[in-house]
Amino acid sequence: MAQQWWQDDDQLLGALAEALGSERNVPAEFIAMGKAAFAWHGIDAELATLSYDSVLDGAELELAGVRSEPASLRYLTFTSRELTLEIEVTDDAILGQLVPPGPGRMEVRTADGTVVTAVIDQGGGFTIRPVPRGSFRLYCHAASRTSVLTNWLMLQDPPGD
Amino acid sequence: MIPDEPPPSSLVTRARNRDERAWDMLVERCAPIVWSICRRHGLSRQDTDDVGQSVWLRLAERIDTLREPSAPPGWLAATTHNECREVLRVARQRSASGYSSSPRAAPDGQLVPAEHPLVIAERDAALREAFATLSPRCQRLLAMLAADPPVPSTEISTTLGIAVGDIEPGRRGCLDALRHCPALAELISGETRTP
Repeated sequence: MAQQWWQDDDQLLGALAEALGSERNVPAEFIAMGKAAFAWHGIDAELATLSYDSVLDGAELELAGVRSEPASLRYLTFTSRELTLEIEVTDDAILGQLVPPGPGRMEVRTADGTVVTAVIDQGGGFTIRPVPRGSFRLYCHAASRTSVLTNWLMLQDPPGD
Repeated sequence: MIPDEPPPSSLVTRARNRDERAWDMLVERCAPIVWSICRRHGLSRQDTDDVGQSVWLRLAERIDTLREPSAPPGWLAATTHNECREVLRVARQRSASGYSSSPRAAPDGQLVPAEHPLVIAERDAALREAFATLSPRCQRLLAMLAADPPVPSTEISTTLGIAVGDIEPGRRGCLDALRHCPALAELISGETRTP
């Protein structure tokens, strides 16, 4: 059997150098992103998946949410077992409607861990202003229903891109 | 890396109890695994960030239900590997269908690593963990010997206060100690069983 990498001192030292190097090369932002993900710990919700996007034809739906498309007006629908979430994206806001209608609280949770809350009125309507930058998910707490979390979506490129 | 860091399992248990500091340490410890697997798949920086994001979020969502608290390094490696493959698959599909709003596929030449990225990431993780348990003296010596560009022997001798002639025996002894650290010994016995 050929000599294994750990048996030879030079090879072992080389492997160690590579391992220590790969640790040093990890950018600080990459680590910060991982730390921020802790904001997602303990989230318990039913998933609402994207079922309609005005920008995409049916055939391309599976590629949805991967990258943003500049569009001044866009309609999206997320569906879970109990709830449907219809949103309309304008230049400066997201206007949403819960079906069936009812009051509650909507959280906009971005990938970097920030959470912005909007009120869902008695008629199931809500407004998120401005449109979040970068990837985010909507986390919907409708009164007397299971909480619902949408897929990731990105409507505007993240800051700094 | 500090020598007396807590094992992943205790960090997981603490993170489950909402100890954010424990989560941070877990991320610091495991980030090189996720990072290096993405790089070895030839992903762009943007794709690496996307994969990293998705992997950390999934760990945060699932950390309460991981059956083995000591599993994160292996779980992260496997999850990252799968995510990388998915990114590459979608990129290939897009370029094939002409849908290229953001051309992010890595050049084809980078897609075939010489060795399985998972294997390398696990080896790196085991080496780092083993290194962390060495005596401070061995850590300093090996770090200098492994440095790129190389540290001259005279400088090693001055810094560590040992004779130049003692560097070579020291290197041998410390590498041997490294081989016998539990983290590495376990990996080695695994590789010996399944060549």
